[in-house]
Amino acid sequence: MENSKRRFLKGTCALLAGASGATLLATVSASNEAKAEPSVKYALIHDETKCIGCKACEVACRETNQVPEGVARLKIEQTGPYGEYPNQFYHFSRKSCQHCEDAPCVNVCPTGAAFIDKETGIVSVDAWKCVGCQYCIAACPYKIRFINPVTHAADKCDFCRETNLAQGKQPACVAACPTKALVFGNLKDPSSQVVQVLKANPTQRAKVDLGTRPKLFRIVAKSGEVAI
Amino acid sequence: MSALHFDTLVWHWPIAIYLFLAGASAGAMFFAVLLKHFVLKHNAYQSGFVQAACIVAPVAVMAGLGILVLDLTKPLDFWKILVFYNPKSVMSMGVLILLIYQVFMFMWIGLLFRKPIDAWCESRFPIVLKFTAWLSRFEATITGLLVIFSLALGAYTGFLLSALPGYPMLKNPVLPLLFLASGLSSGAASSLLGGVLLNANPNAKEVHFIHKVEIPLILLEIVLIFTFFMGLVLSGGQSKFAAFNAIGYGFWGWVFWIGIVGLGLSGPLAMNLFMTATSKRKWAYVAGTACLSLIGVLLLRNFILYTGQMTVV
Repeated sequence: MENSKRRFLKGTCALLAGASGATLLATVSASNEAKAEPSVKYALIHDETKCIGCKACEVACRETNQVPEGVARLKIEQTGPYGEYPNQFYHFSRKSCQHCEDAPCVNVCPTGAAFIDKETGIVSVDAWKCVGCQYCIAACPYKIRFINPVTHAADKCDFCRETNLAQGKQPACVAACPTKALVFGNLKDPSSQVVQVLKANPTQRAKVDLGTRPKLFRIVAKSGEVAI
Repeated sequence: MSALHFDTLVWHWPIAIYLFLAGASAGAMFFAVLLKHFVLKHNAYQSGFVQAACIVAPVAVMAGLGILVLDLTKPLDFWKILVFYNPKSVMSMGVLILLIYQVFMFMWIGLLFRKPIDAWCESRFPIVLKFTAWLSRFEATITGLLVIFSLALGAYTGFLLSALPGYPMLKNPVLPLLFLASGLSSGAASSLLGGVLLNANPNAKEVHFIHKVEIPLILLEIVLIFTFFMGLVLSGGQSKFAAFNAIGYGFWGWVFWIGIVGLGLSGPLAMNLFMTATSKRKWAYVAGTACLSLIGVLLLRNFILYTGQMTVV
């Protein structure tokens, strides 16, 4: 009995040492991979000073990506009215995937159905791999994921990765915006319009303190509500 | 917004039942090993309480997994969880733990009942005897790994929820420990209840042993619940709001104070303290205490799951 206990402890220690060694190796190889990063990393800016709340973006998104009724990849949320008549105004903000650099939905997904596309940095869903455990929906701090009633898989904005972007076009919402309130482009390209706008304007991102490093930037309207 | 339906609710009661069943299974196996090694030794398989634990553990864990599969939006695709793994995902690692746990659980139960199994198979399937003899060479390893994996499973039920950064009440390092402690006590309670239902002697030494362990376990649970909410309050902001939202007025406040603190913790603790480990036990006393514990743990799982999802960062 004593002998077998000792053997068990030895075996467990050997197993733990082996497992931690394997984990270390995996980390080292992962950091080697990181060196060869692709030159594209997409981001989106919503300029709330230009947004008029027409919701053309919502309609375009639904049509382009075949989003069924009852769910939405993109919503424009309206607050207000603020101010006294006749100087009343509304505030519009965009609710959609923030394409986090460190995405909680990707971290929790048990099958790897939620993933960050290495070529573009876009957070995407492999509908076939998704089993519908809804862990990603619970994990997303921005509450923008939903179950697609047709595919029964988790769904969300993917910057039109499989539709417009694949055809070399801008995302549907960006193309549809009549006031050019949406700016989409490559963060890694210093001459891109996204980088120019980001450098020229103060921007905000939602819930940065969570460390998710979202890539949806907003230029906040001066005439919005001041809330603390 | 009502107590059971609100916008930010993603996971509802089937998940709480699954968390309860997984914890009860892990706890039942943990206490079965304790009973065998510290109380009963070689004839452990004859004890009604160990038998009850050996029925509860596999039935509970498989029923829990069944509920989990049915709760998926694509139940027929559940096999993809078993094929694809994401090492960063708590759920993925939990599935691995669950699978390995079940392997060791069945091996240990097989070894526990080796005598009757061997006797039954001697003339019918003599090959089984060779297998049990081979398996018994690894008994210490199997027992050790079963203990490790049952504790891992008990803690996993908490880690599953604490990996959700969007809910300040769930993103809490105390949660896995709290779920582990309450899972163990639900395993002990289900073994006791199952044991007396199998007509085991309610005054047996197994009952005295479990009750002796239960007092410190309940005290630990109370400390962990206090630490859980104190941590939330001291974190401030949405965490503080979430804590008061959960244990303040309203449906879940009643569930917490009357159901969990009153019936689930104070009840069994008072009964264990008033009737010390040495005094004689009756059927109704053992069954009643065990039922209170089980109700408390089931309520705790639902309470944490629902109130945890009520407040977002």
